[in-house]
Amino acid sequence: MKTKIRAGGIVALAATVALVASACGGGNEPGDGATNGATGDGVEITWWHNGTGEPLLSFWADVAAEFEDANPGVTVNVQAFQNEELRDTILPNAIAGGTAPDVFQSWGGGELQDYVANGVVKDLTDFIPEPVAGAAEAFRVGDGVYGMPYTTLPSGFWVNMNLWEQAGLTEADFPETLDDLFTSWEKLSDAGIVPVAVGGVDGWPAAHWWYWTALRSVPTEAFQAAITDGDFTDQGWIDASDLLQTILDKNAFNPGWQATSAQQGAASASGMVVMGQAAMQLMGTWDYGVMGGIYNEAEGLDADAQEHAEFLRWFPFPQVDGAAGDPAAIMGGVDGFSVHADAPEEAAKLLAHIVSTDVQQRYAAMGNIPVDAGATDSMPAGPLSDAATAVANASSVQLWLDTALGSAVGGGMNSAIVAFMSGQGGPQDVVDALTSLAAG
Amino acid sequence: MSTNVEVGEPRADTARGSSPALRPSKRKVRWFEVAGFTVPALVVYVAFVFVPIGFGVVMSLHDGSRIAPLNNFVGLDNFINIFTGGRMFGQPFFWDAVRNNFLIAILSLLLQGPIAIGIALLLNRKMKFRGIVRMLIFVPWIVSEVITGVMFQMLLMPNGAIAVWLERIGLGSIAGTQWLADIGTGGLTSVTFWTVMAVLTWKYIGMAIILFLAGLSGIPDELTEAAQIDGASWWQIQRKITLPLLGPTVRIWAFLSIIGSFQLFDMIWILTRANPTIVGMDTMATYMVQVGMSRDRVGYGSAIAVVLFVITLIVALTYQRFILNRDIGKES
Amino acid sequence: MATATMGTRVPTQEIRQKKVWSWSQPWVYLVALVAVGVAVGPVLWVVLGGARTNPQFLTDPAGLPNPWNWGNYADILGGQFAQRFWGQLWTSSLIAIATTAGVVILGTSVAYAIARFPMRGTGALFSVFAAGLMFPATVGILPTWIIINEIGLVGNPLGVIIPQVAFALPTTVVILTPFVKAIPNEIEEAASIDGATRTSFFFRILLPLARPGMVTVGVLAFVGSWNSYMLPLFVLGAGGAPAHQHTLPLGVQMFTTQFSASMTSIMAFSSLALIPALVFFFTMQKYIVNGLAGAVKG
Repeated sequence: MKTKIRAGGIVALAATVALVASACGGGNEPGDGATNGATGDGVEITWWHNGTGEPLLSFWADVAAEFEDANPGVTVNVQAFQNEELRDTILPNAIAGGTAPDVFQSWGGGELQDYVANGVVKDLTDFIPEPVAGAAEAFRVGDGVYGMPYTTLPSGFWVNMNLWEQAGLTEADFPETLDDLFTSWEKLSDAGIVPVAVGGVDGWPAAHWWYWTALRSVPTEAFQAAITDGDFTDQGWIDASDLLQTILDKNAFNPGWQATSAQQGAASASGMVVMGQAAMQLMGTWDYGVMGGIYNEAEGLDADAQEHAEFLRWFPFPQVDGAAGDPAAIMGGVDGFSVHADAPEEAAKLLAHIVSTDVQQRYAAMGNIPVDAGATDSMPAGPLSDAATAVANASSVQLWLDTALGSAVGGGMNSAIVAFMSGQGGPQDVVDALTSLAAG
Repeated sequence: MSTNVEVGEPRADTARGSSPALRPSKRKVRWFEVAGFTVPALVVYVAFVFVPIGFGVVMSLHDGSRIAPLNNFVGLDNFINIFTGGRMFGQPFFWDAVRNNFLIAILSLLLQGPIAIGIALLLNRKMKFRGIVRMLIFVPWIVSEVITGVMFQMLLMPNGAIAVWLERIGLGSIAGTQWLADIGTGGLTSVTFWTVMAVLTWKYIGMAIILFLAGLSGIPDELTEAAQIDGASWWQIQRKITLPLLGPTVRIWAFLSIIGSFQLFDMIWILTRANPTIVGMDTMATYMVQVGMSRDRVGYGSAIAVVLFVITLIVALTYQRFILNRDIGKES
Repeated sequence: MATATMGTRVPTQEIRQKKVWSWSQPWVYLVALVAVGVAVGPVLWVVLGGARTNPQFLTDPAGLPNPWNWGNYADILGGQFAQRFWGQLWTSSLIAIATTAGVVILGTSVAYAIARFPMRGTGALFSVFAAGLMFPATVGILPTWIIINEIGLVGNPLGVIIPQVAFALPTTVVILTPFVKAIPNEIEEAASIDGATRTSFFFRILLPLARPGMVTVGVLAFVGSWNSYMLPLFVLGAGGAPAHQHTLPLGVQMFTTQFSASMTSIMAFSSLALIPALVFFFTMQKYIVNGLAGAVKG
């Protein structure tokens, strides 16, 4: 039996001290904390997003200003936060404490289910425009859709073409199957090049490898059953680890990958690829910007210079012969925004503006993958547009496994995978850990 | 000579009153004076230290999330799980964390104590530049945990400055050591454990030195000078006079150090990039934050907090009973 | 022990000389030099790192900047990061000063009551505060945060200051109580004969006398507040305060994740963040040792 009691009431109970009890009188109701600056007829909308870097920071500010102009009396208060801080600390605490913003970054998955279960977020089904309906499925919980997607961030291989060609390979050698990939690794190794960089110290970049082997090894239905019911009994979950072991046995990862950070400076995995110390990295599409930033810094260019290293290319994770999973599915993230249950009506309108074709086209023109297929043409040619094509051709986009399972399971899963990859245990250990984590 | 830092009840100060009629006890205590001096501090203290403890205890009896911390009353289940839960593959393990806390507490005393005493004795000598040396040795203590963590991560990263220096002095063979990423279940055989110990020593030894210098400054010069005239060597003076008189200060430092070791969080969290489990470096506090915050089981996390509090309390009381009391006992 | 030989004293001058020219002096300086090197080296490396460009840092992470490049520091002090840095410097200073003031005022008055009020219960009061030593802020962070949120102080510097004062009180009381007790009773008796109340004695006589102890606890509270990370993260970070209203440790951590591409900017930002605390400590250093001496020697 679950008894839902608001934290505030119990604090007052627990606080036998009169001061605290009396001071509690002014406590905030959820949702109004950040908006109680609204006065008179004016409506104020608070919007938290993760676009701390340019050009996205200015872009969202412009979008907010446009919305204000089109809707007199509405003020949009935009704030940017670093992604992990926002996702792991700032937003959950703000929601728990009732200081949540009206519109906020949403990553879907287990966290969103938690918010829905506690009545924190609004069902946006009626506001989702037709062109983005497909991507919005990432935010479906039960019968409702609780987030508005604006970009897809597929996972794939980022390649340094200078090194690739140095090993006698061409774009025609981009692998179709896992065996092709292994062949390319051999050629790279023979040329004295580290084939793959992995940022193991951060956990998740290493775990992404396992997500992919799982996606290829586990039949689609069993995969969904695991996410919804915590059922990891399908043989595919064992095969996933075996497949990854095969990959590890190729010894293609950079020596000391366990101590390498994912994206921090030139010595990180991203840095190694862009600085020519490793040929490729398996990473989400944000890596293009990360590598560009590292490259600019290392070459002494302006940090915000948009001239990304021109020798970077992208190809999707290859097929695995004979594996039971969906060969056409793609692993990745869908970024969107959710609306607080107590937010004013205008908040949903703001989201409609954010995914309007015009805004999506401008967003795509900055080199991002839009969720509105009609805006994809606005993307400049290059590796990101290749990634967008891969998304368009995919049978489905599977949300990052740790996000899909939620933080209660996801964090522990990543630890178990990294332990497995470091030779600490076998495939069954990973499945056992997942099963007991999911059982809570 | 008296030593008055103690954690128990302070002694009634009877020795110094000159005549009974004028002793403070005979003066009237006015209630508003008492209230004025104690109530503001007590209110703040109780509201922000005791109430959180109480609330934490209440939360520890539930299996709630951050959004609803008091969902789902489970009684003592969380505590039972903490003590009886088995090791789960790749997951933080309570008894590893407890082991680490004890190892860190003991090794902090063994590493920092002798070095700090040595440096304090050194800095207590009359020498040129003593003032500057004293200031500079305290620098690590002023540097925040966040900056310390970022700094050592950069120094110790693969192909970082430490690796380059090691190669330059001919130790290229150990330059590739994974200082902060020796994956396993930790303990004394883990490179990362010793790396963390070194950083902890670097960061916190300054406090020990400050305390010891303070203790040394209380030892009258006459004692050492007299011994010197008797022909005692510097070493003899330190061993026979200074160190015994420094004893009470060392015991107080050890007390603070042990408590600090049990509560260790920031340094480990930052050095391991919020992922202490994979290198076996969990402490009770990081275990609490990992399970309570990152995995959003605040009830379980609060139960760990309660256990940590009780363990610290037992260690502190034991220490006070058997070691600090020697100092208090000497007085009478 | 070694006190029996006081009769044969010789002029101190001679002794001093003997000490200064002891044969072991070169070793003493060598050990001091090594200790200082180990203590300051890593910090110096970070400060110098901030004066490099990223390409320089890449080619030689261990050497000196060549040529020196002040661009990273300029960006923070007067360039694109100026608003963030100066804002955080102001927030950190405000919080640290207010915390220090609160700790010293509340701590001294309680210590006075415990040390000097002839009542039952003062001993128990001391134990109550001493028990707080065993309860770290980290452990209580979640309930503390919920309470701060209830009284509406999330996102407000007061939400950091008040809990910090509360958590600093145990150390303060433990250090200050013996200090106040060491002030001779005769002084208070003389004052009371002159008609001084306890309150006026406290303000006019005790406060000046207890100053070394107060400076010590003040410096401890200041440094603790300046370096604290968890509480500001929860109260200011999760409270949605904009970056320039964060404290410096929070700022360094956010800067590190946000501008992870530029190691040398991170080093410059870290260096500038620690300078104010160093300056503060260096000016107060003399009082700290003297004050702690009072505490540990009664």
